[in-house]
Order: sequence, then C-alpha cells, then structure tokens
Amino acid sequence: MPIIIISSETVQSAQQIAQAAAGELGYQCLGPEVLADIAAKYGIQADKLSEALGNDQSKFRRMRAKRRSQLLAYIEAEVLDRLMSDNIICWGVVSHLYVQGVSHAMKVRLLANSGQEAEKFAQQSGISVQRAAKSIQNAIRKQEQWALSAYGLNESESSMYDLVINLGQIEPDEAVRTIAGAVAYRKFKPMTYSIKSLAENALAAKVKTKLLDTLSDIRVQARDGKVVVTSKALKRERQKKAAVIKELAGQVEGVEFVEVHLINYVIREAAESFR
Amino acid sequence: MSQPLQILLLDDEPIVGKRLKPALAKIGCDVEVFQEPIPALERINQKAFDIIVTDIRMDEMDGMQILDHVLAKYPKTKVIMITGYAMIALAREAMEKGAFDFIAKPFIPDDLRRVIARAADALGSPIDFSITDDR
Repeated sequence: MPIIIISSETVQSAQQIAQAAAGELGYQCLGPEVLADIAAKYGIQADKLSEALGNDQSKFRRMRAKRRSQLLAYIEAEVLDRLMSDNIICWGVVSHLYVQGVSHAMKVRLLANSGQEAEKFAQQSGISVQRAAKSIQNAIRKQEQWALSAYGLNESESSMYDLVINLGQIEPDEAVRTIAGAVAYRKFKPMTYSIKSLAENALAAKVKTKLLDTLSDIRVQARDGKVVVTSKALKRERQKKAAVIKELAGQVEGVEFVEVHLINYVIREAAESFR
Repeated sequence: MSQPLQILLLDDEPIVGKRLKPALAKIGCDVEVFQEPIPALERINQKAFDIIVTDIRMDEMDGMQILDHVLAKYPKTKVIMITGYAMIALAREAMEKGAFDFIAKPFIPDDLRRVIARAADALGSPIDFSITDDR
C-alpha cells in the first residue's frame, strides 16, 4: 500500500491531519516520536536531532556542518527503513525532503490556517493576534530557509507535492477525506520500481551514516546493491580515502559493490602549494 | 497449474528476450518473444495471452500504446512494463493506465519471475516459483 508523507507550514496542523488520516485509513503513523528511538540507537540526545531538523534555529546555525549532516543522516536512515512497511503516514521528520523518486509515496503539503493559528497562539502566549501572526510567518520563513540550506530544496514550491491543501479554505475533516480519496488512485500503488527505489534510498542513507562517523562532505547513491560514494580529497590522500570509504561502506548489510569518486580539493590544494 | 502461462515478451533489445525466455520457461511458462511492436500487436490480436511484458520506449509504437490496446481487448491480461528510462511520472502513468507492475532496467531474471509469479496468483493460476540464481 502507498506511503503518505505530510508536511505542513505548522507542526500542529501536520500532526492533526496525519493522525486523523491514519485513523480514517487504518494506517500507522510515523512522527517525531521516532527521534527518541534514533537517539537511543546512536547514543545521542533526542534534542540534538530536533535541532538538526531546524526546530531550534539558533542552535541549528551554531551546529557544525559535519554534525548536522550526521544527525540528519541518522534520521533519514531510520525513517526510510520504517517506510519500507506498508500502510504508513509520515509527518514531522521532513521526509518530504529526502524521499525521492518513490512513486508510491504521495506527498501532501498543508498550508496553515494562518488566522486561526494566530488566534490560538495569541491566546496561549498572551500576545496580540497581529504579533502572533507575524511570529508564525517568521517561523514558516525560517523553516523554509532551513530546508534550503539543509537539502537545497524550496519546500514552498508546490510542484514538490502531489496534493496541496489550504487549511484556510478546507476544513480538517474534508482535508482528511481528500487525502484518503487521493491515495486510492492507482498511480500511488507500490510497484517493483518504486519499492526498489525506496530500498535504494534506505541503503544509501545507511551507508551515509556509516561514513559520516569518520568522514565529511560525502554524497551516496545506491543501485542494485552497488553504492556510489562521491567526496573530495587532496591528491596525496586519494588512495587512502578511497580505501577507507570502500572498507566502511562494504560493512553495511546489502552493499555488494562500492564505487568511489573523489574530486580534487582544488582550493585546499592551492592553499597548501603556497605554504 | 493445469495449463502453462501464456506470455508475450516484447523488447527491441534482442538480449532481453534471449535472457528472459529461458528464465521464464524454467518456471513452466510458454513464452513468445518479439522485438518489434507491430508484429507483436498482430500476434496479440490473434491470441489472448495471460501476461504481456513490454518495453516502453520503442520505435513505431511505445509500450503505453501496447498497454492501452491490450487492456481494451483483454481486460484480464496482466501487463508488465519494463524500461531503461524509469521516472516517477512514467511509472505513475503506467499504473494509472492499468499496468500490473513496472520494472526499471537493468533487472535480474528473478526480479521478473517474482512479478510473473504475483501476476499468476492474481490470475488464479499460481505457479511453482523456485528462485534459481542465474544473474
């Protein structure tokens, strides 16, 4: 059965709609609670994972690039692995940004009911509705900037999604019915190609977590058990780095062959030659 | 299974038919191989196949047209699409039109045999599918 990926301008609406749709369809829900399991698996604090997802922008900005990539890779690997199960709705773990080329993953984008959310936020925080609305808009903008810096994707671009629902115009119950109706389309049916694409996404993410423990600045693609790793290296380090990558990636279950592409570190090499 | 599954395999690359015909024969299927769509279509008009495996990108006629034609004439026939140009939009289009499955090339014969076994189940004619490693 298909996967439904729900992303939203605000966390509250994603949670509300995802849980209601899961109830309606009898699907399981995969949300941010998975971060606690990931944290336990890798021996880190769940808060750090949440920060890497951009939920605390100031801490995210202070985080080193390598650490950010590593934490995001942990999340991707676990989420992609769990998405291999059938009948699942995923929200709150930015899977709309890293589940790529999987035709049975229906991506839904929810546009917030700004007026209602501002009123609610104003009541909770004891501030004016106008200030609350501004604060919500700022948070949406910052999350978009985070998506751009972390994944190079503009998440406000509607072409990224299969379905965009404006909660300012569509009631939540109607949104849930719309999602349930759309996911029944034949085009979202799992097929050999899409199941394999998902498994390859998952394998690449696992290899990435393994490599990012010691290396940085890597890109991983998987196809039929073959893994292609692209990174940068100084000329004198090339052989050693390629051997390390092959050794580490080869340890991941499901990897049959590793191909390494190393691009010259032109700037570092130039800097070293002037010393 | 009382009667062997009747399969038509259409791909303009001769190697595909050459490799897949024996792989499918091993699980008891009768396979007719074609490299050009027009003769394949003529054969389809003469005979109702249980399963049709077709490439998508071909000269003269593409696999989507074959899919439309087959399902209009034989709604019960299972059509499996194979392509070296797999993309999400193409995969979704094929499924929307009623394809049974969509497989990206390159694939190993066991990948196709698994799909054939599922199609046979869906047709109510399960086949004895034992995996043999012939990558």
